[in-house]
Amino acid sequence: MSKPQVMHYSPQVGDSSDSRSDHGSFDIAIIGAGPAGMSAAITASELGASVVILDDKARAGGQIYRNVSESPLDKPESLGEDYLYGRELIERFQHCSAKKIYQATVWHVGDNGEVLFTQDKATRSLSARELLICPGAMERPFPVPGWHLPGVMSAGSAQVMLKSDGLVCDDAVFVGSGPLLYLIVAQYLRLGVRVKALVDTTPRDNYIHSVQQLPGALSKPNMLTKGLQLLNEIRKSGTPVYRHVTDVRIDSQDPENSDRVSGLRFTCSGKPELLAVGQVFLHQGVIPNLNMSRALNLQHHWCEQQLCWKPTLNQWGQSSIASISVAGDGSGIVGAEGAEHMGRIAALNQATRLGVISENERDQQAADSLQRLATLNRFRRFIDRLYQPAEEFRLPEDDSTVVCRCEEQTLGKLKYGFSQGARGPNELKGLTRCGMGPCQGRQCGHTITELLAKWRGDSVDQVGYYRMRSPMRLLNLTELSRFSRIEPDSTEKSVVKEAAKITVESAVESTREKTGAA
Amino acid sequence: MFRFISRASVPQVQLWINQREVQVPAGISVWAAMAQSGQQTTRLAPVTEQERSAYCAMGVCFECLVEIDGIPNRQACLTPVEEGMRIERQHITENTYALPTIEGGFVTENKVTGHALAVDAMATSTKTSVQEDDHV
Repeated sequence: MSKPQVMHYSPQVGDSSDSRSDHGSFDIAIIGAGPAGMSAAITASELGASVVILDDKARAGGQIYRNVSESPLDKPESLGEDYLYGRELIERFQHCSAKKIYQATVWHVGDNGEVLFTQDKATRSLSARELLICPGAMERPFPVPGWHLPGVMSAGSAQVMLKSDGLVCDDAVFVGSGPLLYLIVAQYLRLGVRVKALVDTTPRDNYIHSVQQLPGALSKPNMLTKGLQLLNEIRKSGTPVYRHVTDVRIDSQDPENSDRVSGLRFTCSGKPELLAVGQVFLHQGVIPNLNMSRALNLQHHWCEQQLCWKPTLNQWGQSSIASISVAGDGSGIVGAEGAEHMGRIAALNQATRLGVISENERDQQAADSLQRLATLNRFRRFIDRLYQPAEEFRLPEDDSTVVCRCEEQTLGKLKYGFSQGARGPNELKGLTRCGMGPCQGRQCGHTITELLAKWRGDSVDQVGYYRMRSPMRLLNLTELSRFSRIEPDSTEKSVVKEAAKITVESAVESTREKTGAA
Repeated sequence: MFRFISRASVPQVQLWINQREVQVPAGISVWAAMAQSGQQTTRLAPVTEQERSAYCAMGVCFECLVEIDGIPNRQACLTPVEEGMRIERQHITENTYALPTIEGGFVTENKVTGHALAVDAMATSTKTSVQEDDHV
């Protein structure tokens, strides 16, 4: 029998362990090396657990601390102190004993602890007793007419390009609402990149409604000050700022290329405006990146405060499948600092489940992080209310607006699908092909569920979400045919084997005592 | 309109974008190379065949799918540049179908325009695996 080319990976040389029930499993596998994943890896490996952590980038840091340890910029400090803080966390992470696998594209995670991923044009597998999913956030879809045109990108993309590659774009217009939007504009201005305008869509009413949450915000006065400083910085720069903007449309009337963005239309203070522009960056806040937790079929719920789906978790980040936990922005938006605390909390709980520490030890060691997380969440309530995206920017109104970008399904086509009897997201997908393209619903899932809820007059929870399945990333057959398995090195002793030995010994001991057979 | 504000002395790599030779800093993404060289169209939309370009630059929108060294459906924003890389705008749409070649691989062609596209290396390797499995 001739087999496809297989890359052999056998780190288990010398492992003569006969306990095949563990079958070369790690204690904990962490997906995603952002603040949550890094903090969990540090915590769990310091307790002696065998930890493996995977990330699809070449370096740790996640989107928030992208390339902070090896910035392409002359002065990375111009991106702000919150960014630089990542250096210290990454350094501690690099020194922890967790096995770190970079440039690993995870495309399957099983409820049996199995992880399949592509790395270096080959497929690899590993398994773990406990899984910690840290998929992070993505930007909320901003379905306005023309958002699919070349020359329109998300504001987060401007930040990623800046942090990863030192790539910037002059004379762009930034449109939307939320802290990340003001941060990237301020960062551009500090670096001397020209910004054509900031078009702020934060509704006037949000300021009034968020006042009720102000006491919570005052629990983190330094964060409040930082936010105000950013807005001041933009104002002082002389950059044109349009506020409380509505009716955003992106034009493509460039005579040389009618497929490209040419202008931005909107209404400000009752007056229609038109800006000629070659590049637009959109932002309407961030939402959890759901595909992994959805493909695992974890229980999810709709969060009214953040207007997004979240996996349903207990205070330790444990999901509806006990051996799978979720931490960081993938669990609901908590921010970088919150993610770090959540990673620690989840890792301590998993260590308890593995028998490494007792529940008392867990409670003691997690107390500080739990309390800090609660304070941050009070602040988050204020931010969530202040920058809550208006309905017109979540639910498109113009029938020609593209909702599903991959399959080019417009609002009009989806309405027709609904009129034909498609009541749920999966039925609508079957009828119209929405959510069936390569992004697997990442860009339309939230919009579709909210639209269906509105049309049906039901809650978003009743409507539900697309049924997700593996593979979660693009995968080619050559990669699939090269298969190997990764197991802990013999030096990376599983705490479970150790703990189990102790438990058995003490059980034998106590049996002897009871039976008096010593 | 895109430009680099990176450190002055970064090693450069040479590659081709739509048959045009460009020099870009080593270590950047394929998308960054395309953006800076002014060739921002990554693929055609599958139904309308209108031009599309990267949206999120962080791997979640899949708008930046390009052909790299003959392999289609590569995410330009997640793929680092390499010396000698050949990057092509992706033309695969609803009207594209695969034609077997004498060598045992496939060539993709647009039914409407008759435009012959790059050899689909993914399909080629599918063929290879099938042949190997025949021996089982």
